[in-house]
Amino acid sequence: MRLYKLFLQQCIRSKEVWISLVLITVLGIIGIIIGNKHLERQQDAIAEVKTYQEQHFDRQVSLHNDDLGLLLYYANFAYINNLNPLAVLSIGQSDVHPTVKRITIKTFEAQKYDTDLVNPMNLQSGNLDLSFVIIYLFPLLVIVLTFNVVSEETETGTWRLVAIQSKSKLRFIISKLLVRMMLLYVVLIFLFFIAKLVLNSSLDIHFFWMFGLSVLYIFFWFTISFFVISFKKPSGFNALLLLSVWLVLIILLPAGINAYVTSKYPIPEALSTAIAQRDGYHVKWDTDKRATIEKFYQHYPQFKKYGYPTVGFNWLWYYAMQQMGDDDSKKQRDAFNEKIKLREHTSSQIASVIPNMHLQLTFNQLAGTSMSQQMEYLNATNAFHEKLRLFFYPKIFESQHADTINWNQFIPEYYKTKTTLEPIKGIAPLILASIIMIIISIPMTKRL
Amino acid sequence: MQWANIRLFAVHFWRNATAPKSFYALFLIFILLTAYSAVSGIQNHITQNNIRQEHQTKARQSWEANPDKHPHRMAHFGTFAFRTHPALGIFDYGLESFTGNTVFLEAHRQNSVNFSEATFSTGMLRFGELSLALLLQLVLPLILFFTGFSCVAGDKQNGTLKILLSQGATWKEILFGKSIGLFAISLLFLIPILFVVIIALLLFENSVVNDFRWLRFFIIGTSYLVFFFIISSITVVISTSSNAPKNALLRLLGIWLLLVILLPKSTQAMGNYWFPIPSKLAFQSAIEKDAIQKGDSHNPNDPHYNHLKDSVFTVHKVTKVTDLPFNYSGFVMREGEKITSALYRKHQAKLVDIYKNQNNVTRFSSFVNPFTAIKLISMTMAGTDFSSYIDFQDKADDYRYKLAQTMNELQMEYISPKKESGSEGKAHVVGHEHWEDFQDFKHEPMTFSNSMKEAFFALLSILFWAISTIGVILFISKKAKAI
Repeated sequence: MRLYKLFLQQCIRSKEVWISLVLITVLGIIGIIIGNKHLERQQDAIAEVKTYQEQHFDRQVSLHNDDLGLLLYYANFAYINNLNPLAVLSIGQSDVHPTVKRITIKTFEAQKYDTDLVNPMNLQSGNLDLSFVIIYLFPLLVIVLTFNVVSEETETGTWRLVAIQSKSKLRFIISKLLVRMMLLYVVLIFLFFIAKLVLNSSLDIHFFWMFGLSVLYIFFWFTISFFVISFKKPSGFNALLLLSVWLVLIILLPAGINAYVTSKYPIPEALSTAIAQRDGYHVKWDTDKRATIEKFYQHYPQFKKYGYPTVGFNWLWYYAMQQMGDDDSKKQRDAFNEKIKLREHTSSQIASVIPNMHLQLTFNQLAGTSMSQQMEYLNATNAFHEKLRLFFYPKIFESQHADTINWNQFIPEYYKTKTTLEPIKGIAPLILASIIMIIISIPMTKRL
Repeated sequence: MQWANIRLFAVHFWRNATAPKSFYALFLIFILLTAYSAVSGIQNHITQNNIRQEHQTKARQSWEANPDKHPHRMAHFGTFAFRTHPALGIFDYGLESFTGNTVFLEAHRQNSVNFSEATFSTGMLRFGELSLALLLQLVLPLILFFTGFSCVAGDKQNGTLKILLSQGATWKEILFGKSIGLFAISLLFLIPILFVVIIALLLFENSVVNDFRWLRFFIIGTSYLVFFFIISSITVVISTSSNAPKNALLRLLGIWLLLVILLPKSTQAMGNYWFPIPSKLAFQSAIEKDAIQKGDSHNPNDPHYNHLKDSVFTVHKVTKVTDLPFNYSGFVMREGEKITSALYRKHQAKLVDIYKNQNNVTRFSSFVNPFTAIKLISMTMAGTDFSSYIDFQDKADDYRYKLAQTMNELQMEYISPKKESGSEGKAHVVGHEHWEDFQDFKHEPMTFSNSMKEAFFALLSILFWAISTIGVILFISKKAKAI
């Protein structure tokens, strides 16, 4: 125990160590503040939508009471992806995708991909959230703390003394590393503690998973560092090599893989869907009305009783045309969804062998800010849209007056992201990677 | 200061640096990375432009295939604007993956630009994109730091520096010589990349679009040359001011992390924090509110439109809209489009100003961070920056406005004044030859002069950096100690 205390003193004696520890703590806290700000802005947006929606229907009803079809041309209904509080820690894709959608009962495809107001420069520079601090910066701190654990002894000439006096050189090195690891875990615990205070929600299991995964991830970097320093090369060389490993793992490899996935799976389907939904609806203005209504009834046989009004403009025909925007673009839409799934599948497969990418994707998954969860939200929005349609279609077709409907029931609806927890899938890649690093270090430790 | 001595030191530095085998390994890896990024950059450019071109044609075909119909139907049929991927996007992806590339253009509505690569991405994109520019901005500086960290500190440690100085070499000669030597090493890495870009530009030679690509490329190339001179000098200066090579290396690595990873991210985060953008709802309702105040064409009792009607009646000496010599409904829509578009542009300009304020924090930081300066110059000149995106958005909206107003004018001219409202049916239609007459949207890249204006500040700061590094070398050559 005394030995550990001495190691700790030796480690924190250096000014650089203090500076980097303070720096990462400050950055971690900034990361939490930034994440919290992101969530706050969403909450503000939700509050805005609530008040807006109340007045919105009043105004619409007063303007178009006797023309429900026209009213629903304008009326929009909010559907909100209520962010999981954990999004504070991992903003993920929730800055690219809108989390508050306001939709009309017209063609869904035409509204599905509308984006929020975002500054692309912010997107490109990425969020400085806690997940960034953990994934990018903690490994650097591991490097700073460990690159000279052996080499400083050889360079100052104390290594021979150690070799003679200590029972095992391996144990000596591992103890030194353990002290540094504990130091980092203290910082990590402190940051998660702050996060907990900020999150202000009941501790849920996902929060602990995030913490556990971070612990494993930091351990993985210690195993890399252990491998490198066991070669007993000079400090400069170690620093250089470790930083190169960091550069390759954290920047070059993901960037290269990204280039691969992007060029392997381009998504022309997105643009085709956009055109198909436009044509699906608009072309119907010039085609046979009866045929359009017929097609509409094939989709919704329950409305057949409203007949085939084909003279002049009428709302039944109009909403049948709008429906065709969705129905006629189904082929393109399915192809598009397939492509997205393929991309997601490929990336998560590749990511499972690269710990930092794996951790980022798992963090997003736990925080409900991943791509697949966004797709699920879009699908739920689609279901919400369908519900509205089925509610309003008969009322429009019967030319009901707007004031016969209770508009107070249309308050913004919330969607809650589902996070499926797969512990094995989450931790296995990190543990495996660490084990592999330890195994390949064994031959070196024998020659210490 | 003798030129012959400087040259001697430069040549000597070059020989020393290129002697170890590890240098060749590094060089080989870099060339492989160059090849990979070049291939994926070129491939991406071709695929994206093919996709967009193909869909632009497809969208146009269905526009032209419309039969005779009421022009207001065409105004809503609308069309798509697809953003063209700039040729120099091969070199620097810039914001390309984070900006949408498709916008649906129709009357009354300003739709959002959708389908950016980032919206299709799983979050991997945030780790970065492997482009030629990334290699130059991120990897090559690190290689230069690795190659040059010990150039003076090493000589200091093993005592050769004392011998050099006692034999009559001056500090100035040593420092400039080594800086130039290291700069020459950077050329070894830089030239293949520039060469690849030249070949790619020749391959995609396109005489139709006048985007000044060669001039842009020239500015990019020159800026990188200046940038690498700055990086080389910084390396030598840090090496000189450190007492041991190890310290020099650690300092350089620290500088790299701070300037490449931490500072750019922090400045953008600060901008985002200080200048919050309104929510989409707040943005849209502000426009809606203004529009209702100005005049609501949907409201039959709106004072603005009633007044308008009265004055039109007085001029034409009629009492009913059906007696007017043109279609009144088309006239009202033209007026409405004019009002709402002006309001939209006012609010959009305000929004873009907020974005600019956010980005300005980063832009101003280029005075303390040469890495930011080169990044901004590079993407602005490549046409993949923020201003190029806004330029596209503005051009698409101009086209949208023209489309809506052309259709309104067709309605005023060709649709009978007796048809008071509605656009359904075959009775009141305009001949389909008019659809073809209305030219398709063609994305013209941002003008060179605007790009220059945008990049001016960054160009200035890189110049400032170049001058001050020379100043620092001169300063340090007076102060430096040999032990």
